[in-house]
Amino acid sequence: MKRLIACLSLCAAAAIPLSSAHAAEPVRIGMGFPFTGAYAAPATDPLQAFRLWVDQVNDKGGLEVEGERRPIELVTYDDQSDPAKTVAVYEKLITDDKVDLLLSPWGAPSHFAVVGTLERYGFPVVGSTASSLQIRDLKAQNIWFPTSSIPDQQAEAVVSFLKAQGATKVALSTVQLGYAQESRRMMLAALKKGGIEVVLDREYAPGIQDMTPIVSEIKRANPDAVLSMSYQADGILYLRAAREQGLTTPIQYVLLGATAAYFKKMFGPNLDGILAMGHWSPEKSDWPGAREFADAYKQRYGDEPDYLGSTLAYMSAQVLEQAVAKVGLDKDKLREAIATSEFSTINGPVRFDGVANAVTPSMILQQQNGTTQIVWPPEVATADFEKRTGWAN
Amino acid sequence: MLDLLSPTLLLTALTLASIYALIALGLNLIYGTLRLLNVAHGEVMMVGAYLSYWMHVMWGVGTLASVFLVILVTGFLGWVCYRTLFSKMDRYPALAARMESNSLLIFFALAVIAQNLGVLAFSADPRSYQYLQDIVHVAGISVTLNRLVILAGSVLVVAFVLFFFRRGLNGMAIRALIQNQDAASLIGINIDRMKTVVFCAGFALAGLAGSLISMTESITPFSGFPYTMAAFVVIILGGLGSIVGGVLGALLLAGIEVYGSALTSPAYRSILLYGVFIVILFIRPQGLLGRRVA
Repeated sequence: MKRLIACLSLCAAAAIPLSSAHAAEPVRIGMGFPFTGAYAAPATDPLQAFRLWVDQVNDKGGLEVEGERRPIELVTYDDQSDPAKTVAVYEKLITDDKVDLLLSPWGAPSHFAVVGTLERYGFPVVGSTASSLQIRDLKAQNIWFPTSSIPDQQAEAVVSFLKAQGATKVALSTVQLGYAQESRRMMLAALKKGGIEVVLDREYAPGIQDMTPIVSEIKRANPDAVLSMSYQADGILYLRAAREQGLTTPIQYVLLGATAAYFKKMFGPNLDGILAMGHWSPEKSDWPGAREFADAYKQRYGDEPDYLGSTLAYMSAQVLEQAVAKVGLDKDKLREAIATSEFSTINGPVRFDGVANAVTPSMILQQQNGTTQIVWPPEVATADFEKRTGWAN
Repeated sequence: MLDLLSPTLLLTALTLASIYALIALGLNLIYGTLRLLNVAHGEVMMVGAYLSYWMHVMWGVGTLASVFLVILVTGFLGWVCYRTLFSKMDRYPALAARMESNSLLIFFALAVIAQNLGVLAFSADPRSYQYLQDIVHVAGISVTLNRLVILAGSVLVVAFVLFFFRRGLNGMAIRALIQNQDAASLIGINIDRMKTVVFCAGFALAGLAGSLISMTESITPFSGFPYTMAAFVVIILGGLGSIVGGVLGALLLAGIEVYGSALTSPAYRSILLYGVFIVILFIRPQGLLGRRVA
């Protein structure tokens, strides 16, 4: 018994300096993300980017709040790829867990689903992986979207690129899913305005198993450029069919997926020359931390980040970090700071006009020798566009 | 308008049909023979796919070699699963009578567990690798070699299974078991052993299908479910328990998908697929080659 008391008092003595060293109370940051279900796979990279950010901040001593560094405690729940559950999760994080800050959910449907909850509680959240024309009509006070690839402005960027390349005939193939459909609609309008002829405009149902017939049609139409408005799964089908059919169109733009690490593993050098929607590259040396983010991500997870979702997640966390450093955790001050300040992110400077990113231009990325370069617009390009000449093998 | 007689379109339909036939085979065995609704079929495929992926990435073992290991591992998983979960239920008449509906719940639970174990073990990140990616030219058609391998593998496996059921002694014993379990038992067929064999074979075939498909598709712990759905559509269309029916179902589905889309629009793919599915079930509720239930 004596020994036990001695032991306990020793432990207590040891714990005293320990607790005083950790006097700073942790900042609790909540997040609901799809850990399971249909969106778990595409949400992996953004989730890993968030976790990387948390660990990096904690390694620096914690999140800077009013001059004091406080460790981050991440509170996460699985929304099971269901936007309705995302709402319940964020409601619980705010009212039950009483978190200090929130990170964004994953994907446009979940972002738009939580807007009402955020407005009701006046809880500011910097969004990430959401891009949609709906952003244009959103009059919310508590959410912001750092994306620069909202379909209308992205379509204008693509058309100005096509005109610069002298393309006059374009073929489109579009999957019947939200972002692709919005992109097609905006693209057709922008192409018409730009005087570029649409020689083929095919839509296909999601879940399609083979795109050989569509690619055959594209090949027969002989366009100057192909715009494949695809998601990840059908992007693979498009590229596979295009390679088998020997589609050598010099400009081939694939909407989503082509910058993900597993695309590179699947297609290797055959991916070179493929264009993709996106607005970030680690090759952009004047964006502070861009290269460091890519390196740290690769070192920790073994693969490169996906260049789109992971970037948006990380930069949204950076915006939050800088806003908190400036005004602390008070929701009203935070809302004001996010809405009016300019932030320095791995994607360059960001400032919001309403809920949308007012600074970052829409861009086009291209795979060149295994790296991902920004090739459009010229003022932010990291490399010149290279015409595709054929397939590597 | 596409040239409907083009050999490219034909080959596309055939490779797609071969994938459908292959993924339906294991499910057909287990449901057709044992009346167990294996909704974890796609997850067993994912086990096979991940095994082949890791064998390729870690040790450079090609899928054509690793597929044999996959067959062993998934077959063994089937053995464990049957012995621990199902064979005992057979001994209690009250449980055995509800086996079909209970199996749905058990397999559903297994599928959820498998998906989440998959996330813990591998993360949900999609995986892919390059294997047999060369383009080959056959009769004026260009196609990736791995897709031809899937086609050939599927034909071989289906032929083997058909032969086994038509000529093999065990195959005939299983057919007897399907027709009448009690009578089969009376003439000396070891029912329990036969059921174990079928169950293991069903799992092994699912693993094999997953392994081959991993050459052309990206895989995640959650990508099994669409395959389960496709497999169910194929075997219900073809007639439960009928291997030839399954092949016909696969050919029909692939035909609708490729030619139907070419004739109308790829936008109508799902409407066409499920439309034809419903129409056929309306005309022949037992499926194309299924036996009418008395």
